[in-house]
Amino acid sequence: MKRWLRRSLFLACVLLLASFAAMACGGGEEEEGGVTPGVGAAVPELADGTLDVGSDIAYAPIEFFEEGTQNPMGLDIDLAKAIADELGVKVNFINTGFDGLIGALQAKRFDVVMSSMTVTEKRQQEIDFIPYFTAGTGILVQAGNPKGIQSLADLCGKSVAVQLGTIQVDQLNAQNEQCAQKISITTFDQNPLAVEQLRLGRADAVTADYPVAANDARLSDGALEIAGPQFEAAPYGIGLRKDSTALNAALTKALQTLMDSGQYDKILADWGLEAGSIK
Amino acid sequence: MDVFLAIRFDGGAVTEFLFNSVILRGVRNTLEVTILAMLLGTVLGIALAVMRVSHSRPLAGVSAFYVWFIRGTPVLIQLLVVYNGLPQMVGSDAFTHFLTPFRSALITFSLNEAAYMAEIVRAGIQAIEPGQMDAAKSLGMTNLQAMRRVILPQALRVVIPPSGNEVIAMLKNTSVAFVIAFVELTTAARLIYAVNFKVMELLVVASIWYLIMTTAFSVLQAELEARLTIVERERAIPLTTRVLRTLGGGRER
Repeated sequence: MKRWLRRSLFLACVLLLASFAAMACGGGEEEEGGVTPGVGAAVPELADGTLDVGSDIAYAPIEFFEEGTQNPMGLDIDLAKAIADELGVKVNFINTGFDGLIGALQAKRFDVVMSSMTVTEKRQQEIDFIPYFTAGTGILVQAGNPKGIQSLADLCGKSVAVQLGTIQVDQLNAQNEQCAQKISITTFDQNPLAVEQLRLGRADAVTADYPVAANDARLSDGALEIAGPQFEAAPYGIGLRKDSTALNAALTKALQTLMDSGQYDKILADWGLEAGSIK
Repeated sequence: MDVFLAIRFDGGAVTEFLFNSVILRGVRNTLEVTILAMLLGTVLGIALAVMRVSHSRPLAGVSAFYVWFIRGTPVLIQLLVVYNGLPQMVGSDAFTHFLTPFRSALITFSLNEAAYMAEIVRAGIQAIEPGQMDAAKSLGMTNLQAMRRVILPQALRVVIPPSGNEVIAMLKNTSVAFVIAFVELTTAARLIYAVNFKVMELLVVASIWYLIMTTAFSVLQAELEARLTIVERERAIPLTTRVLRTLGGGRER
C-alpha cells in the first residue's frame, strides 16, 4: 500500500514537470507573416519581412510592457510600428538589457536599436544614429524634495540611484569631478530598480530621461516628484550598424514621410510628449 | 579584405583592466562575501544537519522545511526579497539602511549555503555506521557528546569534497548579486564595458580572476583532504596531482 502511494506520487511529479515543459513549448511561437514587397525589398536587413528592434523595455512611457502582459507599448514602439508600416514590413521587438544593446546590435541580434538611446559621441564611434526625438535629464526625488535638490550640482554629497550604461551615469561622473563631497552613485540594471531605492529612502535622488522621470513621478501616487527643470536636452537616435547604409536611407525616408504626413505629431501627442518633437 | 573573419579583440585592454581598481574592488567583494558566507553557512548548516538527524520531530521538521524552502527558490529571488522586498514590507528607515547591498548579499548567500551544507553534512553523518553511535553511548556519552566527539569528526572526511565544490559554486553564483547593485567581480566588469563597449575583453578579465580564485579554493580543498585522510599512501600523492583531481572532478550546481 505504502509502495503504491510512493509510486503514484513519483509519477505525479514526473507528469507535473513534463506538463510544465510542454506548456512552455506550446505557446510563444511567432506567427510568420508573408514577405510583403515594399520599400524594404532592396534592404538586406528587411529581406525577411521583419524589422527587428532591440530595446530595453522597462522605460515607461518610451518603452514598457503593458501591465501583466508581454505587449510592448510606448513612444518607441508606436514610432517603430509606423516606420515598419511605411516600409511594408512587420516589426519585432527584442528585449535586451540596456548596457548590452550596442554589442548585440553589432553581433546582428537585431537590425536597429530603439531604446530611448541618446546620441553621444562615444556611442557614435560604435554605431550610427537617426535622430527622432529629444529629451533632457530629469531629477526624481521624494515628495516635498526633503534634500532641497534643484540641479545636478546639488547632488554633490548625496546618494543617487541610476541605470547602468545611461548618459546619466556619465553626467554624474562628470559632475563628481567638480564636487567637494562626492556623489555616491549606485547603478542598477533597470530604471525601475533604481526608482525603488528612492522610494525606500536608500537613495536621495534618481536621474533619468525627463519624460521617464516625469512618468515615474506621475505614477507614484504622490510619493515622488521632479526637482528642477530638465537639463542637457539631446536627441534620441535609432541606432544602426555602420554598414547598414541601405537600411539607414530607408528608415530616414520613412521617418520623414511620417513627419510630413502629421502621423509623427499624432504619435507624440498620444503619449503627451509633443515637447520632444524634432520637427 | 573583410572576407575573412575580422576578429575584434583588444588584448591590450585585458592587461590594462586586469588590475583596474574597480575590478580589484570586485575581486575583494566577491572573496569577502564568499568566505564570510561559507563560514556562516557552514556553522548554520551543521546545526541544521544535526537537527535533521535528531530524534526530535519538530527540530527535524524545521530543518527539513528550511532546506526545502531555500533549495526550492532561486537565489535571484531571494536577493531581491532581502534587498527590495523586506524593506518595502517593513517600511522602517533604519531597517532599509541596515540592508546595504553587501549585507543583503551576505545574508542571502549565507542562508543559501546553510541549506546546501545541511544536506552535505547530513549525508556525512548518515555515512557513519550507526554502531558508532551505539558504542559511544555505551561508554556513557550523551547524544550530543557522541555527535561532537565521535560522529562529526569522522563525517568531516566525507563532507570536505562536496563542500569544497559547494564553495566554488557559490563563489561563481555571487555574480547574480548584480541585481542589487553589489559591486562584485561581474558587476565591476559590466560597469566598465557599459562605458567602453569592450565586452569580450572585460569578460575575459573577469574570467581570469574567477579562475584564479577557484584554483586557490581547489588547492585549499586538496590540502584539507590530504590532512584528513587516514590512508598513508593517499597522503603520499603529490599536491599537484591532488589539485588536478579536485579541479577536474565534481558536479556543478
